[in-house]
Amino acid sequence: MLRLEGVTKSFGGKRAVDQVSLVVPTGQLVGVIGRSGAGKSTLLRMINRLGDPTQGRILFGDTDITQLKGRALRQWRARCAMIFQQFNLAGRLDVLNNVMMGRAFHVPTSRALLKLWSDDEKAQALSALESLDMARLAGQRADTLSGGQQQRVAIARALVQEPDIILADEPIASLDPRNTKVVMDALLHINKHFGITVVCNLHSLDLARSYCDRLVGMAAGRVVFDDVPAALTDAVARDLYGLEAGEVVGEAPPVLMPVGARPGFALAGS
Amino acid sequence: MPGHFPVDLDAVRGRHSEHFQRFGRRRQTALAIAAAAFALLIFAIGELGFFDGKLLAGLGRLAEITGLMLPPDPKDWAHVRLFSSALLETIAISLLGTLAAAALALPLAFLAARNVTAQRVVRFFSRRSLDTIRSVDILVWALIWVNVVGLGPFAGALAIMTADIGTFGKLFSEAIEAADRKPVEGIVSAGGGKFLGVRFGIIPEVFPVLVSQVLYFFESNTRSASIIGIVGAGGIGLYLAEAIRTLELQQTSFIILMILVSVALIDYVSGQLRFAVIGRRGVVS
Amino acid sequence: MSSPIALLPDAQLRPLLDAYEASVRSRRWHTLLILACVAVAMVLSSISAEVSIPKLLDNIHRFPSYIIRLFQLENGRPVWTDVAEWFWGLPRWLRLLGETLLMAYVGTVLGVIGAFVLSFLAAANVAPSRWLRWTVRRFCEICRTVPELVFALVFVIAFGLGPVAGVLAVAIHTVGALGKLFAEVVENIDMKPVEGIIAGGSSWPVAMRFGALPQTMSNFVSYALLRFEINVRSTAVMGFVGAGGIGQDLIEAIRKFYYSDVSAILVLIIITVSVIDTLTSHVRHRLIGLQEKH
Repeated sequence: MLRLEGVTKSFGGKRAVDQVSLVVPTGQLVGVIGRSGAGKSTLLRMINRLGDPTQGRILFGDTDITQLKGRALRQWRARCAMIFQQFNLAGRLDVLNNVMMGRAFHVPTSRALLKLWSDDEKAQALSALESLDMARLAGQRADTLSGGQQQRVAIARALVQEPDIILADEPIASLDPRNTKVVMDALLHINKHFGITVVCNLHSLDLARSYCDRLVGMAAGRVVFDDVPAALTDAVARDLYGLEAGEVVGEAPPVLMPVGARPGFALAGS
Repeated sequence: MPGHFPVDLDAVRGRHSEHFQRFGRRRQTALAIAAAAFALLIFAIGELGFFDGKLLAGLGRLAEITGLMLPPDPKDWAHVRLFSSALLETIAISLLGTLAAAALALPLAFLAARNVTAQRVVRFFSRRSLDTIRSVDILVWALIWVNVVGLGPFAGALAIMTADIGTFGKLFSEAIEAADRKPVEGIVSAGGGKFLGVRFGIIPEVFPVLVSQVLYFFESNTRSASIIGIVGAGGIGLYLAEAIRTLELQQTSFIILMILVSVALIDYVSGQLRFAVIGRRGVVS
Repeated sequence: MSSPIALLPDAQLRPLLDAYEASVRSRRWHTLLILACVAVAMVLSSISAEVSIPKLLDNIHRFPSYIIRLFQLENGRPVWTDVAEWFWGLPRWLRLLGETLLMAYVGTVLGVIGAFVLSFLAAANVAPSRWLRWTVRRFCEICRTVPELVFALVFVIAFGLGPVAGVLAVAIHTVGALGKLFAEVVENIDMKPVEGIIAGGSSWPVAMRFGALPQTMSNFVSYALLRFEINVRSTAVMGFVGAGGIGQDLIEAIRKFYYSDVSAILVLIIITVSVIDTLTSHVRHRLIGLQEKH
């Protein structure tokens, strides 16, 4: 169980996240929604400790995440996988080595530095890739892949961490509609089959409604909505998103710009 | 054409007085700076002895010397062989010095890079020492190394290496600081430590940039290597200085021509290699 | 909680693993080939450059001891115990340092003027004629490839010992180096203003003055300042060949083993260079900042 108690993060004088308290039971798929700049990303990064809260505590089970240092901190990060909007892969490394970074905590540093992965580790990485239909591309450099393929590599990296919780920060914001579905389905599958808690930042309300068990709405750093998706009426959505409301709840497909898609690459998932 | 386009000059001047000021404030500052620069130039030229009457005579002699340099002529085949082996030695000095400097500068560059080294003190000292190395000329390093390992090309290679550690250290650390921080973040978020972040997040990204810088410096170091012979540190410089001092002007121009050709050749080859290294990256990104 | 990864059966895993190993192997060969080439080049160079690691190891202790010796006075005490003794020649060195700076200044200004004129003749987009452009480019190449010190050696013969030869050597080299950079700046300008002025019936010099020059000025100044800093370094050694500046005292001190003089002069040079480095980079950043604001 993940518990946030009065978590606050200030940059200069501005509060990006303001007194957020939440309890996320194990196995839930939580969507965090809100307009850009509402503090969703900062919140997720604090859970992984890529950023430190100015005030408040984050607890996982009985462990105070905010107090962790050194090896204990790295252990927590290994248990708490993170998926990024821009994939955050090492572009010039091949796919398999990128996935291996998910084992970074478990493999002794001296062995990892020389890329001396054991057969078991390779088997694990390839199996994770295969479950996302990416094992054929294991030897390719990550920056030769399309955005959707890169995000699947990032998910495979998260999988080999064998995490207790997965944080996904706008995982589909750089993808076209087809890859959006592939990635969201993968997260849903991980959540439902293996009971791994998933906290996912989403800009699009339609997607959040159809995939998540619970929605947390943020505005100006505060939690302003926390309920099942059905409770999210259009009126609440308009409050949350203001002028952006038409863009996120309208008839239009959720993601308009196929930024990461590259014509000429066959998509492995199709 | 006056009268063609009637204007009420006084009225226009009243409305846009700023445009009729001969010199605006910006222009005044610029003119003041230019005047000061010019005055300093005149002062310096006088101070350095340009007006001592040597200049005209010197220019005449220079024209004469240039005439005597043509056509380039090594005199005989023995000299061609001698110069060629000295030129190869020059290139060898440059190659060794450049590669050794790159190998030694790399760790220093990581110490001096903001996104790798958190300790400000370490960063400060590694930067200052790189700057200090850089401000000592390659010829001075050559003289120091001649004192240590004796006359000869080995001292030259060590001199190129020492001087370039400063330059590479600075350039490399800038390249490392410019590296995308997202891959590192990806590795750290999965529980990887600092070393893994640098090894897999930064090094693969910056490696082509560093290789390209090293190749670029190979060319400019060949130029430096061609003069360190003047202080006895090997290479063609010794013969060049000798030819000039003994007024063997046709030999001088022949040696200069050899240097020009080989530098141009190295420039071309390293340019092609750099294109291959960075080009591949350009194709995918 | 179960692992989220269903390990594949061996029959399915094997071909995937083999395919991966095959792709890694070909890349590894590629890397090894490059490394082998570099290694061969290194070995050949080492032979040519008479590299001898034993000699280096035998003598390397002399490097630190030489450096330490530089910071000792004649009586063996460290230099900072008697700064007045260390810098005994300060008035003379400061005068020579001043001469060095003036040389760098004049050399840079003359070089900038030359490069300025040549760049408009050498830039592909505005050059008035093709053969002229080709000639100017080759001229610049020769000027920047021949080391300054070689020019200095020749000029010393023509103009006699002294700073004139050094200044001209620096100026010629600067023409070559900046001529290329300036021409690249001119090639990157927006051509519309130039065309507008030419379309209005103006001559080539007028079009350059009002169409091209305003776009290039801040870059020119920035490159010139950078060059000034480089030129200060290189004029400091012009004295090695008798072409003026502090170099003549430096090489004399090194040759005659006046250890503490060497360190005193080097300290003066390093301080001067870093002060100028700081000043010019400050001005350059302001210039670039101004440019971005516009």
